[in-house]
Amino acid sequence: MARHEILSEVTGTVWQIEVAVGDSVSSGDDVLILESMKMEIPALAPCDGIIVELTVASGQTVEEGQLLAIVED
Amino acid sequence: MNHDDLAADLAAREAAAYSMGGVEKLERRRQQGLLNARERITYLLDDGTFLEEGLLATSSVVAEDRDTTPADGKVTGFGKVDGRAVGIASNDFTVKGASSSLTNMKKLGHVKRVATQRGLPLVFLGESSGARMPDNMGSRGMGDLLGNDPTQYIRFRETPWASAVLGQCFGSSAWYTCLSDFTVMRKGAVMAVASPVLASLAIGETVDPQQLGGWQLHAETTGLIDTFADTDEEALDLVRRFLSYMPSHHLEAPPTAAVPAGSDAAASRLPELVPDRRKRVYDVHRVLEAVVDTNSLFELKAQFGRTAVTALARLDGRVVGVVANNPLVKGGALDAHACEKITRFLVLCDSFNIPLLMFVDTPGFLIGMEGERQRAAGKIMNFMTALQLFSMPKLSVILRKSYGQAYLNMGGGRNSDEVTAWPTAEVSFMDPDYATKVVTWGKPEADDPEAQSVIRTQMERDASVWDMASTFAVQHVIRPSDTRRHLISLLDVHHDRRTGGIGRHAMANWPSTF
Repeated sequence: MARHEILSEVTGTVWQIEVAVGDSVSSGDDVLILESMKMEIPALAPCDGIIVELTVASGQTVEEGQLLAIVED
Repeated sequence: MNHDDLAADLAAREAAAYSMGGVEKLERRRQQGLLNARERITYLLDDGTFLEEGLLATSSVVAEDRDTTPADGKVTGFGKVDGRAVGIASNDFTVKGASSSLTNMKKLGHVKRVATQRGLPLVFLGESSGARMPDNMGSRGMGDLLGNDPTQYIRFRETPWASAVLGQCFGSSAWYTCLSDFTVMRKGAVMAVASPVLASLAIGETVDPQQLGGWQLHAETTGLIDTFADTDEEALDLVRRFLSYMPSHHLEAPPTAAVPAGSDAAASRLPELVPDRRKRVYDVHRVLEAVVDTNSLFELKAQFGRTAVTALARLDGRVVGVVANNPLVKGGALDAHACEKITRFLVLCDSFNIPLLMFVDTPGFLIGMEGERQRAAGKIMNFMTALQLFSMPKLSVILRKSYGQAYLNMGGGRNSDEVTAWPTAEVSFMDPDYATKVVTWGKPEADDPEAQSVIRTQMERDASVWDMASTFAVQHVIRPSDTRRHLISLLDVHHDRRTGGIGRHAMANWPSTF
């Protein structure tokens, strides 16, 4: 079991969270959607696995490189 | 001595040269799965076409080295790749780490000079340790060996240069790589100014070779390489592929190729590849693949400046350069790295007579602190200057968004020869959401959601493609599925019959990095 961090690739706002802790995800699934530059930018699951941690809430501002969630495969 | 004795002497000397750094070193490479300098040449070139220059050359600085420096560590010559002549220099790391010395620099200089004067692409197969020691030491070494060629590091891009980083590349291998038009790096190789050992000595802490100059650093962070490969063979295949898009020299059009069957069919998928909801992202690679000839998209620097895609491709058999925003990454907002990547790509295409296709869907330049620290404003202007100097046909297609200064950088107005738009195109100075806030700042409407909504709706309507068409700011509004046929027709119109499709090359002496 390895833990994979999902980091924000942009500075922006968390617009919508698509998963809950404990959900299974497949590689490439939308984990949450950020809004930046008036675009909806998905943060994707890097691998198949389980969401073990969500470190942000809807509406929250995030910085580029900030930890958003952790997936365990 | 009679003819037979001389022939035997020649054969013995040839055999010594072919023995390279000796059985033991060559065997060690084999066990590591690495090709040696001569095997690399054999793999890349068409069978039996290698014409070697300086097989019998050896060290001429240190007398004791004469018998232990076959070909003086750099194997050079000419040959053919897919039937077309090239010059080649392959570093033999088994001979004194392929370090640069007096004789091998003469060999390299000769191949460069002939390739430039006769119009042949040059291929560098990099794996060298830098300046040879002790040859270059002291003021005599410096005076005799260095700085005697005032054109050594100039590029005028008379012919394309391709380079493969296939081992440790310090000194000249790194320099020629950075001067090249294309670079592929084998995983495990290292490219840096100086070796990790020397770097560790200089700064007093242990330097990890991969962190100092590994493929991941150069693919993702520095952008100094165009692509990477798992093996020597795969890297050489990519050199061959790059050359297939290039003319032999700057006064020639790139070679055409047969159009693969089925290339026209993919365009029917285009309408479903771009979401009509304006904030939704998508991967522009799928759009590009549906427009260009099947399997012809050859992306450069895919991991660097990922908000844009730069790729060589073919359209109806003709080579084209493709620049596209990629909404999948950061919404397609252009960042400093993307600008740098596009600038370099424009220099490449213009220098070698390759027309440009731009696919536009960007909310603008990525603004914020990080971009400013990376000198975004300067890079935006480098990109803009390169676009305005670009002398080959440039055709832009606005798929969806084109905003602000990025509208100009992505070919808006007279910054491309023809602007085509899909009906989904929207063009304005600023996103209507932001613009509504800007124009109502400090006014009563700022606190009135209904008034804001009215202003925003009007701005959205004003951004639609129809006013652009009625003012001739776009010359064509087309159905997405017609994109391929339309671009083929436009490219034919814009082929410059007066010059045979040869550009003005105003950026031929621009650097390869910015």
